[in-house]
Amino acid sequence: MKSTDKLTLDGTQLSIHGVLETDDTDYLREFTEKKKAVFFNAGKLILDFSDSPGIDSVPGEILYQFCRQLARAGVKITRIGASKSMDTLFASFKKHESASSLKKQQIGMRDHFEDLGEGVYTFLKTLSGLWFFAGETLNAFIEMILHPLKIRWPMVFYYMEETGVKAIPIIATLTLLLGTVLGYQSGFQMRIFGAENFMPALLGYSITWEIGPMLAAVLVAGRSGSAFAAEIGTMQVRQEVDALRVMGFDTFSYLVTPKMIALLCVMPFLVLLANCSGIFGGLLAGILFLDLPASTFISELGKALIPLDIIWGMIKSVIYAVIIANVGCFMGMRVRGGASAVGKATTAAVVLSIFLVIIADALLSLLFVHIRPGLSM
Amino acid sequence: MNTVLQTENLSGGWDNQEVLDNVNLQIRRGEVLVIAGRSGCGKSTLMQHMLGLLKPWSGKILFNGRDIWESPQTLQESRRRWGVLFQSGALLGNLTLLENVMLPLKEYTDISKSDIALVAYSKLETVDLADFADSNPLEVSGGMQKRAGLARAMALDPELLFFDEPSAGLDPVTSANLDNLIRTINKSLGTTVIMVTHELASIFAISDRVVMLDAEEHGIIAEGTAMELKENSTDSRVRAFFGREEFTEKKEE
Repeated sequence: MKSTDKLTLDGTQLSIHGVLETDDTDYLREFTEKKKAVFFNAGKLILDFSDSPGIDSVPGEILYQFCRQLARAGVKITRIGASKSMDTLFASFKKHESASSLKKQQIGMRDHFEDLGEGVYTFLKTLSGLWFFAGETLNAFIEMILHPLKIRWPMVFYYMEETGVKAIPIIATLTLLLGTVLGYQSGFQMRIFGAENFMPALLGYSITWEIGPMLAAVLVAGRSGSAFAAEIGTMQVRQEVDALRVMGFDTFSYLVTPKMIALLCVMPFLVLLANCSGIFGGLLAGILFLDLPASTFISELGKALIPLDIIWGMIKSVIYAVIIANVGCFMGMRVRGGASAVGKATTAAVVLSIFLVIIADALLSLLFVHIRPGLSM
Repeated sequence: MNTVLQTENLSGGWDNQEVLDNVNLQIRRGEVLVIAGRSGCGKSTLMQHMLGLLKPWSGKILFNGRDIWESPQTLQESRRRWGVLFQSGALLGNLTLLENVMLPLKEYTDISKSDIALVAYSKLETVDLADFADSNPLEVSGGMQKRAGLARAMALDPELLFFDEPSAGLDPVTSANLDNLIRTINKSLGTTVIMVTHELASIFAISDRVVMLDAEEHGIIAEGTAMELKENSTDSRVRAFFGREEFTEKKEE
């Protein structure tokens, strides 16, 4: 039966023939739109379903909305021959509609404040959970140091490769590019004042104090923090963590400690790599764009930097490693539910670890001012 | 001692939602006890409490007469004498089937690696999976994953085996084979079995005793053999579960 044969209009009586299917929706919408003036003018509509055994949900909803529109304008609607299933469908639309419009009314200023409050509460709860988790990690860590044979070394080596060795190309490339750009841009500005010879010092300070450790931390948080959260989160969803627990395994020493030890071991070297690569980028910029000989660059850099600059970056990286591994594992461990929870945990792990790394960096910078010779006023 | 595991006035649940209220249950040594009931009645929650994955709000869980929450050591010692097969099999995805079975053996025994492998092979043989020892869990079917999970649960020859809906997601034949396997283990090794399920076929095939939970009661509403519950129960919820009468939920006015 064609769509056009399913609807007939006799005066104000709209008759439905056969089953009105989802495919007939467009025609139904077009037909009712075209003929609605007839019902508005007459002030009534008779819907005749006596020749229709049923109606699909989508055209049913269109018809329901059409009737609502007419009823609001005072048109009297009479239904004849409607089957029980059709009455049920219309009643369900009515119920659902009132529920959804109720929801819309409720959203006001108060709800926005409630949402804000809930957001802050959730954030603080996450931080307090993280605090306790860090305590447990510390406990497990001390236990491991006291009993080094208990450490799952094969897993530590596996994660060292995953988080360290495999991160080398991306960290080296990005810091090289950043060092080049920084060297070129700062050198170019300094050249205006004839001070391009100070570029190596500026670059050395920027890279070793801030950019090297920070960029390495951000990249490791993105690569490894997220991987930790996703791995443990998936294990939670697949009940693997529960299985480990009921087999009597200490899930901390199995899942968290090897990752933590691995990251603590590789992070200082990644920062050292980022520093070297960034400074090498600056050297390239000096040679290629600023006519600064390599010997001058190296001697200027040597005058500016002291060993503490390099060591400080590596010390900071240990703290960043603790933050990244803790946040990644914590977010993974608190996953409940299905696949979407794993995705959320992964995102949250990256965002929170970068946030905490930046806060830690700010605090450490304040401390550094006091301990580095030549900085305190 | 006839009772292996016992819950004493156990109340508990998830977050702030109370699921179980004052549940008293005794599991006898060597029996197959099925915890049955409709979806959401608290079967899995009860099992999570028994396994020590959820801490009771009040009441006790006694394993061989000792409260499992008495100290972390008690919980750890109890768990070493249990085996669990989770609904999904819960095999570690980064290990082969053999390595999965070797996991508890490595953790709790100090025999050589080759001896551990040999024991693990024999456990895989029990569940007819020795030929797939080197496969990754994701490379084998759902039924095989569960059998491998069972082999891992049996690795340390536990006193108690827990099963969380083992037939979920399996076809009737595979499910019946798994039931047979569980029954064989119970009969030949005398291992006590606690199984959570709502599959009638499994309940009739393997249970010695059934306890039925109900969501509204937050606890046990019936206890007996599967046949007793089916034939003699006067409770409409039990009769409906066993297909003796049509059950309609009370509608909220």
